Amino acid sequence: MDDVSTKIVEILKKHMKEPRDDISASTALTDLKIESLDLAMIVFDIEDTFGIEIPYNANEDVEDFKTVGSVVERVKSLMAGGPAAAKA
Amino acid sequence: MVDRKGQRRVVVTGLGVVTPIGLTVPDFWASMRASKCGVTQLGALPQEDLDDLKIKIGAQIKDFDAKARLRHFKRDKFILHSDRYSWFAAAAADEAVTQSGLTVPFEKGSRAACIIGSGAGGLTTFENAYRDLFILKKKATHPLTLIRIIGSSASAHVGIEYGVKGPTFATCSACSTAAHAIGIARDYIRHGLVDVAICGASESVINYGTMKAWQALHVLSPEGCFPFAKNRNGTVLGEGAGILVLESYEHAKARGAKILAEICGFGMTSDADDMVNPDIEGPRNAMRLALEDAGIAPTDIDYLNAHGTGTTLNDRNETNAIKDLFGKHAYKMPVSSTKSMHGHPLGAGGGIEAVACIKAMEDNWMPPTIGLNEPDPDCDLDYIPNVGREKKLSYTMSNSFAFGGLNAVLVFGRPPA
Repeated sequence: MDDVSTKIVEILKKHMKEPRDDISASTALTDLKIESLDLAMIVFDIEDTFGIEIPYNANEDVEDFKTVGSVVERVKSLMAGGPAAAKA
Repeated sequence: MVDRKGQRRVVVTGLGVVTPIGLTVPDFWASMRASKCGVTQLGALPQEDLDDLKIKIGAQIKDFDAKARLRHFKRDKFILHSDRYSWFAAAAADEAVTQSGLTVPFEKGSRAACIIGSGAGGLTTFENAYRDLFILKKKATHPLTLIRIIGSSASAHVGIEYGVKGPTFATCSACSTAAHAIGIARDYIRHGLVDVAICGASESVINYGTMKAWQALHVLSPEGCFPFAKNRNGTVLGEGAGILVLESYEHAKARGAKILAEICGFGMTSDADDMVNPDIEGPRNAMRLALEDAGIAPTDIDYLNAHGTGTTLNDRNETNAIKDLFGKHAYKMPVSSTKSMHGHPLGAGGGIEAVACIKAMEDNWMPPTIGLNEPDPDCDLDYIPNVGREKKLSYTMSNSFAFGGLNAVLVFGRPPA
């Protein structure tokens, strides 16, 4: 795993009641038993760690937060300031 | 069992506190027995903030371990992420519910209430969030900021943990907050809305901004809290929580619970006069209403736990209000301010002092007013100076008189025979 992925997995583990070591890019966030308030705290930690702002609305089911890999891709594109960085 | 007016009787089956002189009821009571003072030099603030404060003392809780006290919470997953004021409420509620012996989560949650107030809610969370935004220029506040701040979050956290599905909310009436919460909970049980209630209040506002705000009012003492003393020069901010478990007499009896006391009377009034200067009529009438509600005479009160903040005006006014209502009995009835020991925990005061009144009846021993070496000539009652005293106690009264002229008074009696 690259640096961004490693940091994101660390953040996810920090917010899990029972952290596990088998998290991969294809792991679905729902499998990690992450609920809405946990997700808000995870987004906050990711923003703080990478100095980015993630357009995220807890009312919407966002594709970017389906799997660990999709979160990593979203963060990378936001860091690069690419098209995905545009406000959702 | 009904009282003299045919109303359901309401009893206390659990007590819990977190205070600067004891993090549990046994430790708190042992400290009172030893006339211990909880006022210390302020700590746990950034050094530059401490340096800037003129008032450098507080009745601060310095050894509270939230993880140790709350990690066994099962239903409420966020308690350890909450504001310190919710931690205090949860720890005190946990002690009270454990003592009550009620099955957790409550079997009939819809017949239970959780009324836990706070004068200010999560002010320290507010301060930290604003520090992040305005000084550290962070882009966002912590996601739990809002939930931590809300003044009803303590009641929600506690209600979730114990499965309370009936009336759950906070009261807010500055220094009368806890007394209002306990009185309302008593009324809900008396009138049959619920059978069980967790009630009281919690406060934790010793931070830079709040200290500055209190300093600006010029009512804090730089030396200590010396109620009714000639040399008193203000109050001392404290923090903590005081929580009771109340039940209808029948509910407690049916499950074989140990009954600690009865809430016999509750009176509340408002001065409707001035935001900071109290009058005599409002406090006097609140005490009178509490006695009438209890169906007892002024001469029946054996001990009065005063609001007794240590400010020049309040102590003199409270003394005059007591004399106005109790007449000659005022001079025979010991009165003390336990704020001399645990400081002024604002909204939580009435909860902590309710516990002191109930423990006093249990032990037939009245806690003292410490730091009282030379009484103010205008304060000429028996304030139990410096050392507590034994006395057979049948009824005790607790006064809470808040900024805004908001008065709430509770009368406690022995367990019904």
